[in-house]
Amino acid sequence: MIEAYHLSKVYSRGVYALRDLSLTVEKGEFVFLTGPSGAGKSTFLRLMLRQELPSEGQLMVSGRNLSDLRPREVQSYRRSVGFVFQDFKLIPRKTVFENVAFVPRVLGAPEASQRRKAFQVLKWVGLQHRMTALPLDLSGGEQQRIAIARALVNDPMLVLADEPTGNLDPDLSLEIMNLFREINARGTTVVVATHDRELIRQVGRRALTLDQGQIVETS
Amino acid sequence: MRALKYFFAEAGASLWHGRRAAALAILTVTVGLFLLGFFLLVNANVDRLVAQWAQAAEMSVYLTDDASAEQRAAVEATLAASPLVRSFEYVSKVDALARFQHDFKDLAGLTNELGENPLPAAFEVRLRSSAGDQAGIDALAASLSKAPGVADVRYDRQWLNRLLLAVALLRGVSLVIITIVGIAAALTVANVVRLAAYARLDEIEIMHLVGSPAAFIRGPFVVEGVLQGGIGALGALLLLWAGYAVATARYGTMLADAIGLDGLAFFSPMMMLLLVVGGMAVGCVGGLVAARGVR
Repeated sequence: MIEAYHLSKVYSRGVYALRDLSLTVEKGEFVFLTGPSGAGKSTFLRLMLRQELPSEGQLMVSGRNLSDLRPREVQSYRRSVGFVFQDFKLIPRKTVFENVAFVPRVLGAPEASQRRKAFQVLKWVGLQHRMTALPLDLSGGEQQRIAIARALVNDPMLVLADEPTGNLDPDLSLEIMNLFREINARGTTVVVATHDRELIRQVGRRALTLDQGQIVETS
Repeated sequence: MRALKYFFAEAGASLWHGRRAAALAILTVTVGLFLLGFFLLVNANVDRLVAQWAQAAEMSVYLTDDASAEQRAAVEATLAASPLVRSFEYVSKVDALARFQHDFKDLAGLTNELGENPLPAAFEVRLRSSAGDQAGIDALAASLSKAPGVADVRYDRQWLNRLLLAVALLRGVSLVIITIVGIAAALTVANVVRLAAYARLDEIEIMHLVGSPAAFIRGPFVVEGVLQGGIGALGALLLLWAGYAVATARYGTMLADAIGLDGLAFFSPMMMLLLVVGGMAVGCVGGLVAARGVR
């Protein structure tokens, strides 16, 4: 599903975030990207979200070269991808329900469908009883579950998560990872970037270790 | 339809959220459109006045006191033969004095003190009001002024033309002012909408990441500009109407007596609609400028 060929990303002053990186992730697979800070994990996810373009090489998702996508195709591609960030990126002015329903709403879905989808995913992450709360009234773990619900509300084929447990304690981290496992069990491809090796060990999935923009280990 | 509902809901919420800044933008639009409306109203009423005066345009041919009957008859024949003359009337010295004493009662005694009648006999000529015969009228006036027995020819349309020129000049100046104020209003709206966009950068980022269409991202900002412009225009109309009502009540009779203007006119419903649409257009331009900057 994801194919990267000799992928490089060079920032100003010749700093390489990714260097000649090649990898493959199969459809329905759950993969960890790990490595120290600055290894290139987040850069790879930004390329995957088509927030940036590679300096060299090709990044293919479902057979489409992301560099060749036109603006409308980028929009269409992103609708098939769910994302989860370390800092949750929830809208503090909107309630839990509005945060989740925001995605189908800005994609022009009918109101009834927005409500139904948002309720379903909130129920799935176990927070249907906090629908009217504001994000800042929730714990970190709850906020991340809301972010996961938002990532799932549009039934994505691929979920990307950048340090989703970075702000959480170990118990909550495992709880969040279990949610990702369940998402993956439904057939969704999941790529999680984390530097938490203990968590990777507990979840027990393929892990690609990056260092200085290159894959140095696969386990 | 869903998109429009979304745009208006988001724009309304954003307006309310940033109501202080929005009030500033609305006020700018109100001031701009008030000026525009004021100039348009003045213009429309001056046009009516000029048209009224043009209908009554007269030429006065003053005769010398020693003009003979033949000379007077020659002037009369010239006027009767001219296709530019609609009608004319001979006012003798005696009639002129009587009219003066009737019209200016306070000054009536002055003529008695002089011991003689200072007013000349004259032909009062009403001209046809078609615009194309200006050169012909000038030629007629020139020819009459050279005729024996004629002391002077006064031609009202000359100052009417000067007035028309002044009105055109005023119109030009007001157009420049309105354009500047219009641009200022659009820029103010753009800046206020841009502020609203900055306040919602988190939402915009998420919208981009989930693949929201560009129209959904920018639409609310454009609608916000349109709403600001529309509300500003309604405010301007309200102020203009209030000003018109006060002016009519206080100065209507005075204006009628002084310059013969038969009542002040306000905008037609179509013109009011155009003014509101104009305000919305100004706001739309501001909203578009701001929305283009939304990345």
